[in-house]
Amino acid sequence: MAEGRPSFKQYLKKTKIWKSIYRHDFTDTPKTRLQRVFGNVFLHLQPVRVAKDAIRVTYTWGLGGISFYLFLVLVVTGILLMFYYRPASVLAYQDIKDLSFAVTLGQLLRNMHRWAAHLMVVAVIFHMVRVFLTGAYKPPREYNWVVGVLLLVMTLFLSYTGYLLPWDQLALWAVTVGAQMAANSPILGNEGPFRLPFITTSNDARFGLIGGTVIGDATLIRFYVLHCIAVPFIFSIFLCVHLWRVRKDSFSKQTGEKVDVWPHLVSREFLAALLVTVILFAWSLLMNAPLEAEANLNVTPNPSKAPWYFVGLQELLVYFDPWIAGVVLPTLIIIGLVAIPYVDINPKGVGSWARMRWKRLGPLPIWYPEERPFAVSVFMLGIVMWFVLIFIGTYCRGPNWEWYWPWEEWSHRRITKFTLKDIPNVWGGLLLMSYFLLGSPIPQKVKAVLAQRAGPKAPVLASAALHLGLGILMSVALFVPLLTAADPGYPDRSRYPTLFESLGHAVNAPVMMALFQFVERAGPAAGYSLIAAIIGVLGLALGGLGMIFAKLKDRMYDELGLIKYTIVMSLLLMMMGVLAKIVLRLLFGVKYLISIPTFSFNI
Amino acid sequence: MEPAAPTRDLWGWVDEQVGRRQFLLKAGWAFFWVFLGGWLLSNLRFLFPNVLYEPTLSFKAGKPEEYPLGVSEKWKKTQRAWIIRRDDGFYCFWARCTHLGCTPNWFEAEGRFKCPCHGSNFNRNGDVIAGPAPKPLWRCAIRLADDGQLQIDKARLENRAGAREQGDFFLPYQSA
Repeated sequence: MAEGRPSFKQYLKKTKIWKSIYRHDFTDTPKTRLQRVFGNVFLHLQPVRVAKDAIRVTYTWGLGGISFYLFLVLVVTGILLMFYYRPASVLAYQDIKDLSFAVTLGQLLRNMHRWAAHLMVVAVIFHMVRVFLTGAYKPPREYNWVVGVLLLVMTLFLSYTGYLLPWDQLALWAVTVGAQMAANSPILGNEGPFRLPFITTSNDARFGLIGGTVIGDATLIRFYVLHCIAVPFIFSIFLCVHLWRVRKDSFSKQTGEKVDVWPHLVSREFLAALLVTVILFAWSLLMNAPLEAEANLNVTPNPSKAPWYFVGLQELLVYFDPWIAGVVLPTLIIIGLVAIPYVDINPKGVGSWARMRWKRLGPLPIWYPEERPFAVSVFMLGIVMWFVLIFIGTYCRGPNWEWYWPWEEWSHRRITKFTLKDIPNVWGGLLLMSYFLLGSPIPQKVKAVLAQRAGPKAPVLASAALHLGLGILMSVALFVPLLTAADPGYPDRSRYPTLFESLGHAVNAPVMMALFQFVERAGPAAGYSLIAAIIGVLGLALGGLGMIFAKLKDRMYDELGLIKYTIVMSLLLMMMGVLAKIVLRLLFGVKYLISIPTFSFNI
Repeated sequence: MEPAAPTRDLWGWVDEQVGRRQFLLKAGWAFFWVFLGGWLLSNLRFLFPNVLYEPTLSFKAGKPEEYPLGVSEKWKKTQRAWIIRRDDGFYCFWARCTHLGCTPNWFEAEGRFKCPCHGSNFNRNGDVIAGPAPKPLWRCAIRLADDGQLQIDKARLENRAGAREQGDFFLPYQSA
């Protein structure tokens, strides 16, 4: 540019219009760096200066920001898609077809909307895991963790409601199943346990959700409004609170010198958004969002699978009645997540990733979270269980939701004769009761009294008696009915008169099959004595496991107090109980432990 | 005769207990919250429609002699029902899994209905053999209409052993 003559840009910056918009100049000085942040309503969301270590990529991986960015992408692509979409059952599917084949860039936008939704679910879950592992939910940030959990739930609900809108088979059956879970909710669902006397199919929770007794136009407009307006509206409110509280409660990491947010943090955010955009574009160009045949209310595709983030729930529904798997367990998961910051009184581990160390447990090397052993182990176990369920549902389930190994070829003609049996209520009740009693601690006070009255060894002996007794009781309560009880289905629903024979001949109860064959081959005397030995060993193993954790339990009780301990222990036992029930179903062919059909109450 | 003290002294009593200003303030706020809460809650009722535009649940399924023995899938795609003919008569299943409402498929070789969503298995009588379904399949009311056709009513359902094999839910029909 020639000397003396101002460029167009320089001229522009001197105009009144420019000055009315931008209050400061853009030369890089310490002053303008601050002005850029607090002079801009959007950047103002952030502080002007931030600890250097807090913005290291390896601390947060930018996951919260990425989730927020994906939400913005979803809003923009969603608004564009709305221009062509009409929420009526005769039109919706055609409109999606039009978007895919007749509208310029329609397919790309639809792909981006769908894949961004998937990415957002991933980002939000990982964000939660990150916040947990860096202890960032601990005081004073408890409340913001709760808001975050609600945002996670809403993210999933947004995915669920959006899923119906294309009105294809995939959509319809995922929503059929989801809506039917509402019908199974206790008290308010027509098919749930303890339903109120005036509840019918035309006024229960499912009816309220889908706006009728069958999924149809009323459901479509309902889900459309929820997806496009109602939930995003509430989501945005909670999002504001969430972001604002991050500012107000300050970052969990405060080490390192303070650096200017502009450019250090803003540039990182920009790069993260850029990277996500590139991934999203590549994914959307390479892969189309699935669209199956038009919804048919009478025919279900076989197998019918939910989107991946709900497949874990779908798999869980195989092992429990819908009111447990679909209503009680999700509610407990949410309550459990919300409760975490309030029951975790350990102040350690804030502001850095959980420190892991190799440690010996007997002969086994274990990777041990040093500062927060209990919290990190339990939380990660829950997360891993959830993803294992997703893996099973996605890769191990074929036609008729039967078990296929990932390398096995699916066959719609495979002959299978699966059988499941209930344990009689008394035994099942005993099993459940002794299982939950395993959670009972022996508080310090009781130990002192015991030691005073019956000698210094009394507390140890009491603990051994409690745990080994309960272990043996559980083992007995499981095996005795399976070996001796009559099959109530005989002769109508079952070919054999006893549970042992029925399950011994089933193909889906490997443990019972093996025991049955052993008894057949080795004769009853040898067979039953081996089984008695197994019962003993299993009982002692369960009791021994209880004893290993006895010290931890007692210490936790003394530190947490009755209420927090009860919450933590019940949640933990229920989580492990889910695992136990899965094992009972897959290895023993057990369907229910307690079944009271009159009240639709089955566990 | 003494006059009833409490009525005469009510304001005095209120004044003593909470103070008149406090009482009015509390009453005002109570009204505010009760009204707001009541109005918001009453909107829940708004979400439950009074008029439904849903297809009729009753249909005619042709003459009985058109059906061979066994499970007929003829009406599954249009009416979501299976009609089963036995030696001694007819019954009809609503083709809706009692677990979470998917449509099962009939597998003749195994004599089972199997659900594609969570793997429930039912036998010919609709009883649960395997999988998570808690209840037997629902049977629909079935009768012969005046014109000699089978009349199925999916609005009237029964699945309790004993009740489902008789009355409106089983149509005796002797095979020739």
